[in-house]
Amino acid sequence: MLEVKQLSVSFGAVRALDAVSLIVPRGEVTAVIGANGAGKSTLMRTLAGLVKPESGSAELDGAVVTGRSPEDIVRTGMALIPEGRSTIPELTVEENLHLGGLWRPSAERKATSAEIYDMFPVLAERRRMRSDTLSGGERQQLAIGRALMCDPTCLLLDEPSLGLAPLIVTQILQLVNQLAREKNLAVLLVEQNAVTALRVATTGIIMNLGTVVRVGTAEEIAADDELRDAYLGS
Amino acid sequence: MPSWLRNSRLLVHAPLFIAIWLVLSRLNVMVEPLMSYYLALAAMYATAMFGMVILVGLSGQVSLGNGALMAVGGYVFAVTSLNWQTVPILGMQWNAVWSVIFAGLGGVIAGLIIGLLAARLRGPYLAGLTLGIAVGLPSIAARFPGLLGGSQGLMLTVPYPEGGYATDTAAAIDAAVESDAAALDLALSGTSPVPSDASSGSSDMLTPSDVTGSSSPSDMLTPSDVTGSSSPSDMLTPSDVTGSSSPSDMLTPSDVTGSSSPSDMLTPSDVTGAGSSASADPVPMPSASAISSTPSGTVTDAGFILEQWQASVSIAVACIAGFVALNLVRGRQGRVWKAVRDDPIAAALSGISPAASKVSAFVVSSLFAALAGAVFAQILTYVGPGAYGVALSLSLLVGVVLGGRGSLVGAVIGAVLLVGLPAAVSNLAGDRGWSDQVTNNLPTLAYGLLLVLVVLIAPGGVMGLLGSGWRRLTTRR
Amino acid sequence: MTTFIDYLLGGFSSGAVIALFALALVLVWRSTRIVNFAQVGQAMFTTFIALIVQQATGSWFLALLAGLVAGAILGLIVYALVLRPVQRLDTSGSIIATFGVLISLQALAAMIWGGEPQSFPPPVANDGLEIGGRIWPISWYDVLVYVVTAVLVVALTLLFTRTSLGLSMRASAFNPEVAKLSGIRVNRMLAFGWALAGVVGAVAGVLIAPTASLSPNSFDILLIFAFTAAVVGGLDSLIGAVAFGVGTGLVLALVTGYGEAGDAPIVVLILLAITLVVRPGGAFGRGKSRAV
Ligand SMILES: Nc1ncnc2c1ncn2[C@@H]1O[C@H](COP(=O)(O)OP(=O)(O)OP(=O)(O)O)[C@@H](O)[C@H]1O
Ligand SMILES: [Mg+2]
Repeated sequence: MLEVKQLSVSFGAVRALDAVSLIVPRGEVTAVIGANGAGKSTLMRTLAGLVKPESGSAELDGAVVTGRSPEDIVRTGMALIPEGRSTIPELTVEENLHLGGLWRPSAERKATSAEIYDMFPVLAERRRMRSDTLSGGERQQLAIGRALMCDPTCLLLDEPSLGLAPLIVTQILQLVNQLAREKNLAVLLVEQNAVTALRVATTGIIMNLGTVVRVGTAEEIAADDELRDAYLGS
Repeated sequence: MPSWLRNSRLLVHAPLFIAIWLVLSRLNVMVEPLMSYYLALAAMYATAMFGMVILVGLSGQVSLGNGALMAVGGYVFAVTSLNWQTVPILGMQWNAVWSVIFAGLGGVIAGLIIGLLAARLRGPYLAGLTLGIAVGLPSIAARFPGLLGGSQGLMLTVPYPEGGYATDTAAAIDAAVESDAAALDLALSGTSPVPSDASSGSSDMLTPSDVTGSSSPSDMLTPSDVTGSSSPSDMLTPSDVTGSSSPSDMLTPSDVTGSSSPSDMLTPSDVTGAGSSASADPVPMPSASAISSTPSGTVTDAGFILEQWQASVSIAVACIAGFVALNLVRGRQGRVWKAVRDDPIAAALSGISPAASKVSAFVVSSLFAALAGAVFAQILTYVGPGAYGVALSLSLLVGVVLGGRGSLVGAVIGAVLLVGLPAAVSNLAGDRGWSDQVTNNLPTLAYGLLLVLVVLIAPGGVMGLLGSGWRRLTTRR
Repeated sequence: MTTFIDYLLGGFSSGAVIALFALALVLVWRSTRIVNFAQVGQAMFTTFIALIVQQATGSWFLALLAGLVAGAILGLIVYALVLRPVQRLDTSGSIIATFGVLISLQALAAMIWGGEPQSFPPPVANDGLEIGGRIWPISWYDVLVYVVTAVLVVALTLLFTRTSLGLSMRASAFNPEVAKLSGIRVNRMLAFGWALAGVVGAVAGVLIAPTASLSPNSFDILLIFAFTAAVVGGLDSLIGAVAFGVGTGLVLALVTGYGEAGDAPIVVLILLAITLVVRPGGAFGRGKSRAV
């Protein structure tokens, strides 16, 4: 379980996160939705250690992660798949995948990678090719695979649907949901596309201007037209 | 912007620079010849660095090769003034003026060629190309021993002192003081038993190598330079020239020529001029006290002091260059350069051609470099590959970085630092009882460390520090 | 024809050393996207240290070893003190900072050891070998240079392509953020890249010192040649750096053989200019595989 308490982040005068608190239970997907600039990516990057918080904390299964380096946070079992293309085009598919687990003993690493190749057969076929030969959807699979290589207990996904066709988006989100259940992962999913995200999520969190404005079950939030009009503009 | 406003900017800037010119010219005739010499060097550096400010600061292209562009100016100046005689106008031979104009033209052409090559290149590739230019271009001169004097370079005994070149600004302005100064100088050289010795003695003090220059003999490491009897330094020792008592004694070519030997290229001493060793016969590095207490100066046939005259030319060119640069920087073109530097794509979308902007920055900076190169040639009364080596390019970069990359005032500060720092450092080292080997290399070390420190601590250079200090002062209130 | 072959053979040896310097530049570029203009200065400095060890112990091998260690340490120091803080700045900042380091190192060396060229004795004979009744412009020492260079290149290639460490270094270079998110200690990898480059530069310095005497500035021209080779090779490619390093050595040998030594910089400049005009990102740059 990931527990975020009163997390605040500022970039100079811009307050990107203002006392954000939330809980991400294991075994299910928690979706964070909000308009551009709501602070979603900042939340994710702060949790992963890329941004230093001004105050507040985050705990993963009781261990404090805030204030630690991204390299250490990965080792505690929390993996972020950042916004945009997060595979390295110059490396092969296999190298991209193995990257995620280089700090683990090589036997464990090999076992995990075999598992991931089973899950994504496309990656197995293309393992020797440069990753920029993959399609957008395949690349997102590779990014998820890389995150899984560290055998995480908590997965942070920042807009995995960016630039993908609706059908692929549905596939990917369904996969995320399945991962959460089967591997008992705590999944925090950031999406602008509220409808699709809430379909796979158990809990929905709405952010606006750096604060959490609403927490509820996915159904509740999906049904609330007023909320949608006010914060999501869709 | 309405055109009358743009004109008014010209109106404000013109008196500003005329005022600066008058003050500096006045200063020039009030100080000792040695200070005039420093003034000449500083103004020359400032001219070249105005171009660097535009190229590196505004246009964002790091050039390690502007010293080579100065070589273009210097050589064009030398070759045209040596070989061409112009028709007198109004009783004056405008040779030097014409040569400076040709030097500027040469700079524009060279800048255009290099700019076209460079406009497509980014960061390290551009740095590499310009470094290659800094190394390669001056050594072209070695290929043409006839026209360009080969690796020994060309002496510029012409057109000074006879010929029209001498009759411009300096004479007019200094008329009031020159008789006094000349008298003083005559008196001084009179005290010396052998005048020519005195002047050749002071030539060591005043080698350009003190500031920019090049290598002491010990720096030449190619076998031919060390062993060969015909190395440039052997051929043009002061003693060989003194007999002629030409003004060129002041700055013996041997101090500047160096050689085009590879090993000279980045000598620390090239940047500051200190000999990098205490070997048998390096150019003695005078202590700062010796410098400041040694009056020098050669009285020319025209009746005024060589250094003063050189400084007056250098100051005039620097003021014109500064005026042009300020108008460019504050004007439309300045905004275009900055826009392309900050965001080439956005600039392109708003109708600016990034390539044209980058090329134009190269052309302007090359023009200024060439003018400075011509001035440098007449300060040294000599041109040669060694004088315009990589070291010169690097000192320009050092100066611009120290002063503050994007600021014309910073360029002036940088120029003053380039000239003053070596003396200041050896002054500090003073009488600590350190060996020559240490003290001679202190200024170079100071440059190196300062470069690093400025980048680490104050990327804005002196101007950046002044700016933030000012801001702190004003916000306190 | 025989002179042509002689020139070429002579060029291989200097080409190998240029290749090593180019390799050092590429290593730093790959790890931190910085061109380390101080590389030859570091090599010069560590070669002086090697020379001291050589004079004290009489052993070339120990000298080489001392040079390697010193190279790694100096690389780390330069990275940690200067470049790591600068990294967040623009390219101009890093270019200027490395030049500052170069100038400082040369001044320091001149202060400590003086500017006089010193000779560095070769471990094996440096006289032309006699094969088939003819003396060739190749010595046992040249053979040693080839062997060391080849071993180093092969070892580096294996390191980068076959090991986790190599993969970590490449990932850290290409995308530090993703590397961090994958648990790679990026700063350590970058520092390691600098140390490795320092080692390669030190080897190049110790290898070239016996044929070109050692002084604070004796490697300066090599910077230009190595830089040209590295840039023409695309800055990212180990193979490119080696190939064009050797190529530059050959071209220089031919130029100095048939022309004058002073023409070498001009020829190199022309080479550089042509490559950059045709391919602004270097011959092996962007578009082609950067896997090696
Ligand atoms: N590194 C940074 N420096 C300065 N401001 C930043 C930085 N990163 C984010 N911000 C600011 O913080 C605010 C929140 O940005 P963030 O990227 O977290 O929004 P987001 O919800 O992810 O938006 P989007 O849906 O567009 O990805 C914005 O105002 C943004 O400009
Ligand atoms: Mg975002």
